[in-house]
Amino acid sequence: MLTRREFCKQATLISLAPTVPAFLAQTAHSAVPLKDERILVVIQLDGGNDGLNTVVPYPDENYQRLRPKLAIGEGRVLRVSDSVGLNPAMRGAHELLSEGRLAIVQGVGYPNPSKSHEVSMAIWQTARFDSTEHRSYGWIGRALDEAPAANSDGPAALLVGKEALPVTLRGRKSIGATLANLDEMQVADASTLGTQREASVGDDLTAFMRRSRLDALLTAERLRQAAKPPGVVGTVPEGELGKRLALIARLIKSDFGARVYYAVQSGYDTHAFQREPHADLLRELSEGLRFFLDILKRDGLDDRVLVLAFSEFGRRAEENASAGTDHGTAGPVFLAGSKIKPGLHGAPPNLAALEKGDLAVNVDFRQVYQEVLANWLTLPPQGVLKGAFEPLNLF
Amino acid sequence: MPDSTNKSGDPWTPYIPSERLPWDLARVVHLHRRAGFAGSWTALQRDLSEGPKASLTRVLQGRMHRNRAVPEFEAVAASLADSGVSTTIPERLKAWWVFRMLFTPDPLGERLTLFWHNHFATSNLKVENLAAMRRQNEIFRESARAPFGELLRRVVKDAALLDWLDAPANRREHPNENLAREMMELFTLGVGNYTELDVQQGGRALTGWSYKDDGFREFPEQHDDGEKTILNRTGHWNGDDFVAMLLGHPATSIRLAKRLCELFMGNEGGAVTSAHIENLAEGLRIHQLDIGWAVERILRSEAFFAASNLRTRVLGPPEFVIGTVRAFEQFDPPPSTLLLAEWIARMGQDLFYPPNVFGWRGGRSWIDSRSLVARMNFAASFVQGATCHPSAPGNILGLIERTTGGSDREAGIRFLSQLLLGSEPTPDTRREFESAAGTRARLDADAARRLAICVLASPEAQLG
Repeated sequence: MLTRREFCKQATLISLAPTVPAFLAQTAHSAVPLKDERILVVIQLDGGNDGLNTVVPYPDENYQRLRPKLAIGEGRVLRVSDSVGLNPAMRGAHELLSEGRLAIVQGVGYPNPSKSHEVSMAIWQTARFDSTEHRSYGWIGRALDEAPAANSDGPAALLVGKEALPVTLRGRKSIGATLANLDEMQVADASTLGTQREASVGDDLTAFMRRSRLDALLTAERLRQAAKPPGVVGTVPEGELGKRLALIARLIKSDFGARVYYAVQSGYDTHAFQREPHADLLRELSEGLRFFLDILKRDGLDDRVLVLAFSEFGRRAEENASAGTDHGTAGPVFLAGSKIKPGLHGAPPNLAALEKGDLAVNVDFRQVYQEVLANWLTLPPQGVLKGAFEPLNLF
Repeated sequence: MPDSTNKSGDPWTPYIPSERLPWDLARVVHLHRRAGFAGSWTALQRDLSEGPKASLTRVLQGRMHRNRAVPEFEAVAASLADSGVSTTIPERLKAWWVFRMLFTPDPLGERLTLFWHNHFATSNLKVENLAAMRRQNEIFRESARAPFGELLRRVVKDAALLDWLDAPANRREHPNENLAREMMELFTLGVGNYTELDVQQGGRALTGWSYKDDGFREFPEQHDDGEKTILNRTGHWNGDDFVAMLLGHPATSIRLAKRLCELFMGNEGGAVTSAHIENLAEGLRIHQLDIGWAVERILRSEAFFAASNLRTRVLGPPEFVIGTVRAFEQFDPPPSTLLLAEWIARMGQDLFYPPNVFGWRGGRSWIDSRSLVARMNFAASFVQGATCHPSAPGNILGLIERTTGGSDREAGIRFLSQLLLGSEPTPDTRREFESAAGTRARLDADAARRLAICVLASPEAQLG
């Protein structure tokens, strides 16, 4: 398969049509995916997702007892097994499960959990427990530091959205960047730009610049074309997350070159009257996942992409007096993609054995990271995680 | 053989104009691009007629131009910085620096400030303290040409860097190597000139260094006063001893020589040989690592003006953006420094937010699809006046008429090429300019703008 760079070298032999956009429209159309690197997409569920009302232990009488207002009954859950079902808002995720494209790791956390959003998020983002290390480098940044030099000059990790670059993506060497919207990747007006008929060969700076400009125009055009209505796979789901995932899909399709994409979905800090807002968030997440994976599948890219969705903590087992839930500990982690071992992993939460009202941690999040690093991104996990953990066999 | 080699054996022999190396417009543009942020046509012509010696003295002493646009430059700049810090909006602080780059009488000083920002790459992403970031920036500026020891001591004993490299976490009971490692690898010696043991021991020497209320503080109770062996020398070293060892190590002079050559000599073209580096490093050692001395040595040299050193460097984002505004002299209505800072960020250099401890890699890595799209879009945005406040289309035709005495298409193409590239473009590129300028023999306002966009967005205009 042709890499983009090779393509551009070949393009030097082609006599280009006089108007760049027309020429690009053609080539961008005919040349399809050029890279074969595996890609990780991380979704950060911000605020502490209520795992018990996400992956619901519906037959457990303790669940019904602890959640008099918020419990979701057997009749309403989307059944996954004899012990758990999904929140009824998660139709998309339920379909992914039945198609074998979604894995749910239950009871994920870490020892001595912190209930501070900031501290717990930093722990998940850095895989470090000493607060003096919470602002330096993140687990993905460190992992990408170990990666061989990329063949593209763009950032190795990209946050899509308006948030600042999370520490997760900061490395000592590797480069993380943010992209709020696609305007930054679109040429506003190509009509006055040069329309060189022959791209230069050779490695001098001017030739390099010429090739790079062609490359940039090509990428911009590919992104424009990738914006075509998704058609058979439905429309972009409502909400910010759906838009961000759609943008990530376009970037992947356009061969943007980042190995890790990152998106944040906020609003999970549901202390009061959480039923509807929580369901809305889960709907947005699961429809977003479904849409994203379908679009990649349509474009033949699903084999290359894994999605990881996590939250900084779960919530307390017992609901509070305002029909909401307070900060807790363990919660589910989602992994989606066609290469994942689908279904439930880890033991379901045991509500009969709470620790001071909180769920016990069954799986260390570093076990999940280890799987993702070693078996998906094929980057050495030991240094990143400071040690080796029991395998989960997720792939 | 690079044409900068000469019979005297001194790789930095001074530049004297000759038939082979004439003092021509290409070299004047080169000087303004490499040591500043480009020049107006008037400044270029003045330097062309006054010759290299006077022009270089002006550059080195920081009196590149009389500042008509903003008379009270320092006072205005200071109030911009104050308000940037007090509003806690990072964009305001970026805009302050852009203002300085645009209007300073000492562009070389700002280029060196940018250079040190990259050398001691500290990001507000972690520091989250605009007052500290500004103070660090002022240190870079004030000590930009100082002996390196003065600069290093000031920077490493300042809150922004101490916070950035986790100095407060480096305590006797619980050492953190971050500061010691980056001091050795990035600020002084460079990789390969120390061992992991040196890093550990250096970290111990630095224990107790921290900051409080944004000022440097030493906490003796946190300091590990035990014996340490660093770079083969054993003693009860403290942080100051460690810094002194690094400054005295020959590898530091070599690393500084390399870094300065990266700044002024471009990244390609083979104008710099190991003889240049070694000779400059030796000179730095003799001159107490005096940066001002080294900068003058480079800029006044024949090597700097050698044909192999012309147009061999990818312009960094501020050089491209600020250089564009200054060359085109579009100051009425004034440019929005906030917007210019945003464009610079889109091109990959978000001021005060370097991507990691290594800073921006520079050279060809400035160029990727996203940054090039930003450069092309900036060209259009600037010429159409969207970067001004209030927005108004740039008067490119007026500039062409003032300079060439008319609106002749050929003269316009020649003028803009010389202003931005220092010379005539290649025939291929010239054809692109011609097509953008339209077919009429005289330019109208619109054709002049289309031509300007095409020149600015051309591959050649990204080099300097």
